[in-house]
Amino acid sequence: MANMMNLVQNETLKVWKKRRFAVVVLILLILIPVFVYAQMKIAQNSAEKFKGDWRSELQNRITDNTRALGSDRIPEEWKKWRRALVQQLQYYLDHDINPQSPNAVTFTRGFMDNAVTMFIPLMVLAIASDLVSGERSSGTIKMLLTRPVRRWRILLSKLVTLTLYVSFIIVATVVLCYLISGLVFGYRGWGEPVFVGFQVSGANVNTSTVHAIPQALYVLMQAGLAWFASMVVAILALMVSVLVRSTAASFVTMMAAIIAGAILTNMASSWNSAKYLFNVNLELTTYLQGTPPPIEGMTLGFSLAVLAVWAAAGLAVSFAFFTKQDILN
Amino acid sequence: MKSTSWLWRGLGITTMVCTLLLIAGFVWALKDNWLPTSGMAVPHTSPPPAARAGNLASKAHLNIVALGDSLTVGTGDATGNGYVKTAAADLSKAMDKPVRVVNNLALNGLRADQLLKLLDDKGYRNAIVQSDIVFMTIGANDLFEIASNGSSMAQGGDITPEQLDRRLPEVQVRLKQLWAKLRGLNPVARIVYIGLYNPFYDIDKMRPASEQVQKWNTYVHELAVADGNATVVPTFDLFESDIGRYLSSDHFHPNEAGYARIAERVVQALH
Repeated sequence: MANMMNLVQNETLKVWKKRRFAVVVLILLILIPVFVYAQMKIAQNSAEKFKGDWRSELQNRITDNTRALGSDRIPEEWKKWRRALVQQLQYYLDHDINPQSPNAVTFTRGFMDNAVTMFIPLMVLAIASDLVSGERSSGTIKMLLTRPVRRWRILLSKLVTLTLYVSFIIVATVVLCYLISGLVFGYRGWGEPVFVGFQVSGANVNTSTVHAIPQALYVLMQAGLAWFASMVVAILALMVSVLVRSTAASFVTMMAAIIAGAILTNMASSWNSAKYLFNVNLELTTYLQGTPPPIEGMTLGFSLAVLAVWAAAGLAVSFAFFTKQDILN
Repeated sequence: MKSTSWLWRGLGITTMVCTLLLIAGFVWALKDNWLPTSGMAVPHTSPPPAARAGNLASKAHLNIVALGDSLTVGTGDATGNGYVKTAAADLSKAMDKPVRVVNNLALNGLRADQLLKLLDDKGYRNAIVQSDIVFMTIGANDLFEIASNGSSMAQGGDITPEQLDRRLPEVQVRLKQLWAKLRGLNPVARIVYIGLYNPFYDIDKMRPASEQVQKWNTYVHELAVADGNATVVPTFDLFESDIGRYLSSDHFHPNEAGYARIAERVVQALH
């Protein structure tokens, strides 16, 4: 066990010294202000139009979406999505709660909802893709494997390290998002109520299980779900990193899979069996938000099961290959 | 070596705490999804202020709500302003005070009976109670709606003046109910009803329908007079000569020039 601890320490420090995490933080520090600025412009614009009357702004959103439902040009799938959205917004309005109260926590919540499919996986890949293939391209893998340690222990230590960094990335994203957006929107909003528990079936929203929770708890649950999805991405990236020699190839492979998933979730609702792909299931936060899932019939349990199967398969392949593989130049 | 050990301790503890926190969040999310609790009590927020009584000239600023069908949406206007935005802007200039469109709640294809139901919506109520002026167009879809044969409205469909005549009484009842409900929600707002025009004036078969349109407008005018704080803005005359210049390509809705003329009328009626 002490041996394992040393291995994890070694791996963690290696990633740190390669400045992988510093790159992630740098990306966050550059991009979050960009989004904050964009959101600020939108907020200013609507403040000018609605004079701070959020009810009228919310009703306007409902009316806009209802009007769009009348258009024949909009595909049926999008209409379902809009119908569900309209019912949800109406629920907020009926209970006199502002779903977009302007503060840093609301911004963080919105950012995380959008970041879970692309942005966070991208940052996870910055660390995961390089974990094994990086050792190979630099040749240090020989040194690692000639030590009197079983190979599976080495890979396990890498997996543990990866888990720790995935958690660190997600928490850092939430914290930086809150700190930066707070400068503009104010450091408030942890206690604001949010509704969860909307059950979407087709175009109808069942509100019998809807209940309000404080935004702080929402952000925590959201981060937890994002963490699970990111862990699956990380495990698959580790597998690709074991299988592929170069870091670049491993990164591009995973990135392609994730982008394909993002595109598929937007267009593949008629291709039903796409729901068994891992990359279509990454957006776990939709179940919290209560927006319709990308493909009808998907539930939180379903998505978690699909992701778990992919992760288990990824782990099996990684360990099988890593322990048997010949290391050549 | 010392510094490395400190770094490891810091990193190890931080990342471990993060991991535990996120696992807790994940488990909580599962629990919340599968075993939902009643949740927190929702704090009560104050309702929007209701409009005050008094004539329009004496108020410091004016709130407008727009209700109704595609005409109020502004369908056919390439600039997207419709008559509502233009009239509000012009009114603000003419009266030299801020005029705000609280909400344009109009929906394409809306009928009077549907609007009657929508008035129960909280969003509609919120907007209506705080308004000093209500813009409204409703009834055209009730009257001109083509039964079920799906022929295009642009050609006048199958509608004959006789059919319009038969429908008139029923739609009049709908409007009367709607008007009463609206008045109940806001006893002080000035209701501005934009009168109907005959979009088929240039089609020989449908020109006589102007008579039914006029009957309808007269009826609304009676309602307005009985109400005492309402105006019917006539528009039929705007679409009789050179109709093509003021109708959009669907030959039913006004184009931007048509809407601008309606807006002009609205401002004249209010100021």
